[in-house]
Amino acid sequence: MLKLLPIAIATAVVSGQLLANEQQENSRFAIAGYGDVKYEDSKVMDSSAFSARFIPIFLFSLSDKIHIEAETEISIDEQGETEVELEYADIHYFLSDTTTFTAGKFLLPFGQYGPYQHPSWINRSVFSPGIYGGIGGHGGYQPMQGLLPVMSDIGVGIQHIIPLGKNQKILFDLYMTNGLAAEAPHDDEEEGHDEESILEGNEEVDEHTLELPELAFEARSGDNNSDKALGGRIAYAFLPGVEVGASYYTAKYDDDQQLGFTATGFDINWIGNHYIVRGEYIRTEADAFEEDEHEENKVITFDRNGWYLQATFMAGKMFSVLQGTDFVVEYAETNKINEAERWAYGINYWLDSRAVIKATYEDTTVHDGEDDKRFAIQYSYGF
Amino acid sequence: MKSILQILLIVSLLLLSAFSSYAKEKISGAEVINNNCARCHNARAVHEFSIPEWKVIMPHMRAKAHLTGQETKAVLEFLELTSQSVAQAKKVVPENAIAPDGKQLFTQFGCQGCHSLQGDGGTVGPALDETIKNKGIGFFIKKLQNPQFNNSSSPMPKMPLNEQQIEAIAEYIKS
Repeated sequence: MLKLLPIAIATAVVSGQLLANEQQENSRFAIAGYGDVKYEDSKVMDSSAFSARFIPIFLFSLSDKIHIEAETEISIDEQGETEVELEYADIHYFLSDTTTFTAGKFLLPFGQYGPYQHPSWINRSVFSPGIYGGIGGHGGYQPMQGLLPVMSDIGVGIQHIIPLGKNQKILFDLYMTNGLAAEAPHDDEEEGHDEESILEGNEEVDEHTLELPELAFEARSGDNNSDKALGGRIAYAFLPGVEVGASYYTAKYDDDQQLGFTATGFDINWIGNHYIVRGEYIRTEADAFEEDEHEENKVITFDRNGWYLQATFMAGKMFSVLQGTDFVVEYAETNKINEAERWAYGINYWLDSRAVIKATYEDTTVHDGEDDKRFAIQYSYGF
Repeated sequence: MKSILQILLIVSLLLLSAFSSYAKEKISGAEVINNNCARCHNARAVHEFSIPEWKVIMPHMRAKAHLTGQETKAVLEFLELTSQSVAQAKKVVPENAIAPDGKQLFTQFGCQGCHSLQGDGGTVGPALDETIKNKGIGFFIKKLQNPQFNNSSSPMPKMPLNEQQIEAIAEYIKS
């Protein structure tokens, strides 16, 4: 009996090893993601500080047809509290070779920066483009008031691809989500201090009595009305060099579904051997109530637009002595309301294909506001 | 109205025929990587993740990068091929110890998916036409044996090729 024991142990060990190998071959879980450490010096904030984030992406393959993904952002706020944000958590069902159904909380496919290029090891600048400025995270406070945040919401979406030969595709994305709401008023809110005038149709609107509505884009598991946000993007990709797209988003944001918000966007991503040019134009229309002389509310529309263009010259690919070096220049402006313009200049050094040290200087001119000059160094990595 | 419907019908048929012909072609995983990864980020080196991990990551990238199921499968096949050892690769690469076929190996390992030769091929990597002439055969052999030796950020995978096979590819490129 004792002679059989070593054989039994050896058999068990080999069997266990085979099982472990088999499980490893069929693993259904992986972790990817990115993170960064940043030092930022801002004139308008009159401060300089280090900050850090860790953003793991948890991936599960339940079967060939079903895939689950979730991304969390773990960071420390200015008061030292640890913040954990669920950026997306969704399930994909691959309906066919070219069609994917998605449900859950997901990044809305509006433009290219929000859904695809905002991770810090993908964005070639330390800062978010100005039109995605200081609302909704992904760049912190910026003096240029952005038109949209990086949008993530809860709902359902469908993606369809039409391959046109080997190197061309038409990409469709459609989605329906809970949508946005009106931002709760702040206690210390001061009204009527904006000296700016805006034009609504042929009527000049005096902003002494008006304020641009503050909208809450944060995803919620509830809705303040029964209206759902609808949107989508259609893009043409001529691979590997060019992708151009057009996006649309619309939703009612007030409790009574009388006030709407609409965003329209056009985007381009143009990649050459030694350069990348990325840009987007966004126009937003936000309704708000205005009290007329008879003290009755009428709906007026705030119309804003803006664009940015970011050019990256990958000098390291052209001159071997500059191996790993990128030069970046970016221009952004917002128009009509809260006008501002911004130039950013950067130099990046890639330690390897997934780790980069970026230094960016940014000069923002705010019409009717305080200008800013900022400098930041960021060490960013994808894993 | 009738003419609009006719135009839509013709466009739809063209789209379907284009799709059908594409679906029948053998898709190069290297070419899919070349065409799609750089739209957002640098190409990732194969060895960063194990093959079981890539099998979980690629469905995520399928949705993010708008890849078809066939393209996703082709990328995984390429990753599996290039993550093999030379000994393992012998099982899938026809080996002729006397005279390995450089052209066949060049195609088998999808080199042209990322590198152009005579104006045809991908752009993630540099064109290969003048590489050996400018940098020498020694550089070429070393690059295939250890793709990161001269550039730590190079995403080029280490191909499971023996020295004879590398030399055969070099001969093919020179010719």
